[in-house]
Amino acid sequence: MKKFPDGDFVSTYVDTNALTMSVHRSLQCTACHKEFSDQRHPDRAFRNKLQFRIKESHVCRDCHAVEKIKFRTIHEALFKKEGVGEAVVCTDCHSAHAVTPVTGGNVSTSEEKYCLRCHASEKHMVFKSGKSVSIRVQVAELRNSPHRNVSCSDCHFGFSAEEHPYRRFSSERQYQLASSEICRRCHFDKYSKFSESIHNAMLSIGKLEAPTCIDCHGGHAVLSLSENRLAIVQKCKTCHNAVYDIYARSIHGSALFKENNKDVPICIDCHSSHSIKNPFLSDFHDFIPDMCSKCHSNAVIMGKYGLSTDVVKTYLSDFHGVTLGLYRKEAQKRYRPDDRPMAVCTDCHGTHEIASVSGTDIQTLKKTLQKRCQTCHTNATASFPDAWLSHYKPSFTNAPGVFIVEQFYKIMMPLMVVGLLFQVFLHIWRYLVSR
Amino acid sequence: MVSRESSGDKEYIRRFSFCRVVEHLALIVLFVILAVTGLSQKFHFLGVSQSLIIAMGGIDDVRFLHHVVGILFMVLTAQHIFVNLVGIVFQQWEPSMLITFKDAHDALYNVRYYLGLVGQPAMCGRYNYKEKFIYWLILLGGIQQIITGFILWFPVAATKYLPGQFIPISKAIHTNEAMLIFLIIAVWHIYDSMFSPEVFPLNTSIFTGYIEKKRMQQEHPLELAQLIEAGEEELSD
Repeated sequence: MKKFPDGDFVSTYVDTNALTMSVHRSLQCTACHKEFSDQRHPDRAFRNKLQFRIKESHVCRDCHAVEKIKFRTIHEALFKKEGVGEAVVCTDCHSAHAVTPVTGGNVSTSEEKYCLRCHASEKHMVFKSGKSVSIRVQVAELRNSPHRNVSCSDCHFGFSAEEHPYRRFSSERQYQLASSEICRRCHFDKYSKFSESIHNAMLSIGKLEAPTCIDCHGGHAVLSLSENRLAIVQKCKTCHNAVYDIYARSIHGSALFKENNKDVPICIDCHSSHSIKNPFLSDFHDFIPDMCSKCHSNAVIMGKYGLSTDVVKTYLSDFHGVTLGLYRKEAQKRYRPDDRPMAVCTDCHGTHEIASVSGTDIQTLKKTLQKRCQTCHTNATASFPDAWLSHYKPSFTNAPGVFIVEQFYKIMMPLMVVGLLFQVFLHIWRYLVSR
Repeated sequence: MVSRESSGDKEYIRRFSFCRVVEHLALIVLFVILAVTGLSQKFHFLGVSQSLIIAMGGIDDVRFLHHVVGILFMVLTAQHIFVNLVGIVFQQWEPSMLITFKDAHDALYNVRYYLGLVGQPAMCGRYNYKEKFIYWLILLGGIQQIITGFILWFPVAATKYLPGQFIPISKAIHTNEAMLIFLIIAVWHIYDSMFSPEVFPLNTSIFTGYIEKKRMQQEHPLELAQLIEAGEEELSD
């Protein structure tokens, strides 16, 4: 307890509970008690308790400058009194360690203004880990974002001029994850897609580095990514750096980066943006032909580059495509043999490293293809890749054997069936005549 | 080998031995399974094929079944060739299935008969030209299916000895030949042995082993004459 010459005293007890519940909880003791530190504790003399309180409450104005607070009628009146020599003690109304806003006094202010009284300054939010993060809101960023007309409490649900619940997070990441929960209140469709994604699955098993909304879209500087394809790729690169490098060298990636080509697929065109699936599961792998065919069976897009749209059709009508189609039907109806993956586009052409086949000589291509075949057909010989007609429809030049057989049966089959039917009719006719 | 039996006032003559009856039954079963498991793969894009494949346990099981039954079909074919070769070479069986000039003559003759230029159809022996045509088509087509089937079943092994393009060629042959055989059986054989007015509702001789003498007189008169000549005494009993 501190005694004053006139016999009055003030307790030196600090109610830490009241402090931690107050808006000043993130402040260190020395932020207000500037003369003191764990090395220095000067003995100060005051005439009486009032003088002590006046002196102490002047500290408040270091942050809450007169110009900032005098717009309030009550403050203005108090400052006038002070001008004529009357004592004004902040803590009379706001109390000291348990400092609180005086409720009812904020009606005239906009919510944003109210929040920014603290959140425009470089104060820090401290986590249990000891690290801290600035609570400052970059107002300019917010003004430029699509959320410019959304008020603070629309997102920060539960916070307002009246209430500001006290939360303490163990780490910055925990805080970010909790903040990401905000988005779903409006963007529930995206949230439900995200909740099926591999990123959410990773989060739920404790891999907290997996991204959530704000990792890609940002917080107050929220971005709609749909327009900027380059920016999307850069977002994925943040974590998937190695894949990015491979993609950048591919036929698709190089067209994107060199010519800003709008036709080539970027990450999300195959992986989707929110409901990203585990690409190693058949659920994803089985649908790769659909992803490729989005462009490669589109005559308008392929026409620009002189590419054939037959590639998907020829795949789907051959052994692998037929089997895959049936596997998918089976998966829908009953089961899918997970131990029997079926070769899809990427198994021969590669995934992120996908390259153009034109310009490579046929022997190199065959060698590469043989290796790819051997992934499943372990002992595939050098002539094995020839079993695949390279997406060509059989013609006399590229597959004479197949072409001749097909043509032979195309003629023979109707000839024989019509001939036999003719026999049948003659036979019946003759039978009826003879009777 | 030839015997006759009477039931009521109809007289029956033995046409097929028990082994041939069993062989034909086995062929029906194998053919139907091969056709169902094979054609549902050929027409994989049809809803009915997909339902069938799923009902049979999925495409892997369907292929397994097709392969196993294919092996059985190969065994049946090998057995048929072996038994008949031995019979013809060592047992003096008549090679009645061989196509002769008479078959060409009969075929042309029957065209005239159908057009009403002659009053009687051609006189046929044990097998008429239509039966021979179907027989050789199934036998040779079957062998072709067995060979191409194995190439498709073991493409990696096949390309050790053959150029890669033999795989799609085999596929083209296998799938088209299957369709051809199926159509010929469905159009011709089924008509000839079930819906043909002479035999409707069913020509039972391949199942019972016996043919009615009256029908044999019409359809295989030369064979009957031969039988009568050979077994004059036996028949006159």
